Amino acid sequence: MTPVFTPEQDGFREEVCELLCEDEVRAEIARCRRMPYGEESGLLDVHRRLGKLGWLAINWPERYGGAGATIVEKAILTEEMIRHGVPDNVHSLGIDIVGNAIHLFGTQEQKERFLPGLARGEITANVLFSEPDVGSDLASLSTRAEPDGDHWRLRGRKIYNMKAQHSEFALCAARTSRGPVNYAGITLFLVPLRSMGVVVEPVWNLSEERFDLVTLDGIRVGREDVLGEVDDGWQVLGKVLPLERTGLDHSAKAERTLAALREHALPGCGQRLVQLETRVRAARLLAWRCVANLRDGRPDEVHSATAKWYASETAKEVAVAAVELLGPRALLDARDPAAIAEGVFDAGFREAPGLTLAQGSSEIMLFFVATSALGLPS
Amino acid sequence: MTAEKTTAIARFFDGDLAPLVRRMADRPRAEGGDDGDGREVRAMVWEGLTGLDALGSSDTVGLAELLGSVLYQGPLLDTLTARELVPGDDLGRAPVALAVAEEPWTERDGAISARRAFVGFAAEVDHFLVGGVGDAGLRLALVGAGHPSITMRRYEETSRGEAYEVEFAGTPVAAWAGSAAEWAAALAGARVRQAAYLVGLAQAALDHAVEHARTRRQFGRPVGGFQGPAFRLAELSMHIDATRLLVHDPGAAGHAAACLAAASDLARTVTTQTMQVNGAAGMRSDNDAQLYYRWAAFESVRLGTPDRLRRESWEAR
Repeated sequence: MTPVFTPEQDGFREEVCELLCEDEVRAEIARCRRMPYGEESGLLDVHRRLGKLGWLAINWPERYGGAGATIVEKAILTEEMIRHGVPDNVHSLGIDIVGNAIHLFGTQEQKERFLPGLARGEITANVLFSEPDVGSDLASLSTRAEPDGDHWRLRGRKIYNMKAQHSEFALCAARTSRGPVNYAGITLFLVPLRSMGVVVEPVWNLSEERFDLVTLDGIRVGREDVLGEVDDGWQVLGKVLPLERTGLDHSAKAERTLAALREHALPGCGQRLVQLETRVRAARLLAWRCVANLRDGRPDEVHSATAKWYASETAKEVAVAAVELLGPRALLDARDPAAIAEGVFDAGFREAPGLTLAQGSSEIMLFFVATSALGLPS
Repeated sequence: MTAEKTTAIARFFDGDLAPLVRRMADRPRAEGGDDGDGREVRAMVWEGLTGLDALGSSDTVGLAELLGSVLYQGPLLDTLTARELVPGDDLGRAPVALAVAEEPWTERDGAISARRAFVGFAAEVDHFLVGGVGDAGLRLALVGAGHPSITMRRYEETSRGEAYEVEFAGTPVAAWAGSAAEWAAALAGARVRQAAYLVGLAQAALDHAVEHARTRRQFGRPVGGFQGPAFRLAELSMHIDATRLLVHDPGAAGHAAACLAAASDLARTVTTQTMQVNGAAGMRSDNDAQLYYRWAAFESVRLGTPDRLRRESWEAR
């Protein structure tokens, strides 16, 4: 299914590209690549510029800072931001996951409280799901929401989340009750992060961006901070998580690495490049099929799982293939004077393992397709 | 290497030293990072290995696999290759770095000028064996490392290893070493040892992932109890077994380039797959999984990309 864009959508893509190619935007992106070790970018001027135009969350209504466009325009923006090397985690966490969850399941008050700031690029948010002993098996989470009058106090530790140090608030999954099955009794809270009772510590890792260990030490939250219904967070999660699994971010990353690889590969690598190009094209088609499903109001979880698995595995394959084809020079960091392609291969290689783990691991996608699409026993 | 010597060297890396050696792959960035402790450990390891007569080993392939399994980082493999080309008496027990490339250089009045990329441990060796192509074809020259005509800088790269760009600007030649044919034979040996090193590294990465799969519980049971990860780990184990036989085969030097290409693919595949089994925890700086992943990336292409090695192997028929 080749994506078909309207002339207006093509025009929007051109406008986005023009903005992202401006000198000051390119300079800001280049600065991000060469930030001192241990530092990383949060919201950038480019986010604020896109926000001012109503493009950052273009598919949200104008009253919430968007432009009332469709998910297609939003996907065009995401694709071009990644192709142009804009650091994407702040955007995807704040807009695509937390913002979208509030847009779809939040109360009027929550939408008015959070969405305009997110859409203007003035605030951002992250996700507090994983815990030290809980990864893919999210239903086993142990962070507690203890009743405190009409409120709750959150206690627990969340790890392997990103950008907490730059975020104003987080979407946090916590247990409000225990039932016969783990899925019941989970509630989603919108938690202010710059508060007493929240401690954010870095967990240094392989990639350019740190993980955070967030300790919730009794922070008080109220009914107005609950997203969806109390004890019913699993249902919301089940609807929100597939929305981010279009695979489009991964296919765009693969495209970006491949474009640089094509430029720097030595003669004789043609067949391998063709193989990778074909995979990347297929990944993009799968991703845009998911976007079309969302546009048409018929999200398809099998399509989402397929696109996420295929595109993330492809992006990882391209990242590793760059090392295989280019040799040690592919491993030079953007900060090295001899770096090629502004260090995109080194950063991509270090980011690659996370692509098939975050947003639902490859194993979870495979299990879902095996049981739901193929009907195999679980 | 006799069985006794193997055991002695394996014992040397046991216990407290092994994590220190492995963790050298987590050394500071080149930019402003002081790696004094790492250098001390590397010097201690060098003393230990030479004290156990690793330089006189008769089974250097077995030794290389052992070094890979502990993620050894140092100039021993380069030194073993150099000693095939330079009489041992000239070198004693001194460490040597290879700086050989089939690229032009300048030879004038007994001195050479060249720039060489990705030279290992350049700041810690006593000699360089420099290779270059001049009017007489490929030649090799032994030069002293302390000469002021030599400048170097450490790369900022994924493995955070000791890889340097080295500039020789009129560096006096201490001795000419080996012919092009002798270099070809020594290179074949170096490639087989590098392949064995990668097999050892892959095995260590797999062992680390298997331990994680045994102990990490999700959905009420160990991760290794699920067929997906279990079969993946079993498959990797079988690939390692096959490649190990390939590199230890007495005829391996005759297929050195192809052998190294296979081990190179193996190391990247195993370390990439084991990162997946380790999950996000494997990406943490304090987790060894990411050390294997980063180190395999560099070591698997240090002596040539698999593509180039296979092409060379094909064209040599």
